[in-house]
Amino acid sequence: MKRRVRTVIGSKNCDDPVIDYKNIEYLEKFLTPQGQILSRRRTGFCTQCQKQLKTAIKRARHVGLLPFVG
Amino acid sequence: MTKIYETMVLLDNDVVRQDWRKAKAIVTDTVAKYGGTVESCRRWDERRLTYPMARKNRATFFLAYHDMSGDKIPGFRRDLELNELVLRYMMLAVEEVPEEERKLAAEEDGAEYEVPAPPEDDAIEIAEEEEVPADVVDLEGIEAPSALADEPAKSDA
Repeated sequence: MKRRVRTVIGSKNCDDPVIDYKNIEYLEKFLTPQGQILSRRRTGFCTQCQKQLKTAIKRARHVGLLPFVG
Repeated sequence: MTKIYETMVLLDNDVVRQDWRKAKAIVTDTVAKYGGTVESCRRWDERRLTYPMARKNRATFFLAYHDMSGDKIPGFRRDLELNELVLRYMMLAVEEVPEEERKLAAEEDGAEYEVPAPPEDDAIEIAEEEEVPADVVDLEGIEAPSALADEPAKSDA
């Protein structure tokens, strides 16, 4: 049986850059081409960091820095 | 209770083109009006928006750190919402003002700082609809389908 290979984008220990809504280049890595937020399975973040990521992306969308849809 | 807030304000590029100081004063004066103290206020960036706001494709982003009493916040928000030059704003409570922000704001307040002119393509181009002449639709030459023509007319009786 062929096993699916999953790509993890984020770091497991969540020590890397501060998740901030102004850090657009960093946040863009965690969006699909359609603009959806990647799941924790894909980002590799812990619960708290994934929540910070979600909040930061939603703030960036509100001020027009990131798209709602692709 | 007084807290420190980080406010990101998106301003219309037309105001920035006319007068940079006036554009900055929109933010600082509104904070001062509600008894807040501006710790730092600077032009964060000028960039293209990912979706249009108020028929604009681009905006100038201001980042201000200020303190304000909690009971003044609703009035402050209302003032920003009613100001037509403010495309959007976002206000967050923060623990402290970052030192880097203070430095950058101090540099910007210097006399030698020049604001780069925003590009011209900030307004949305709306394609004009072509007017259809009245004589294009001509139904006189169209014949009725043969099935309908052969059908005998129904009598009311």
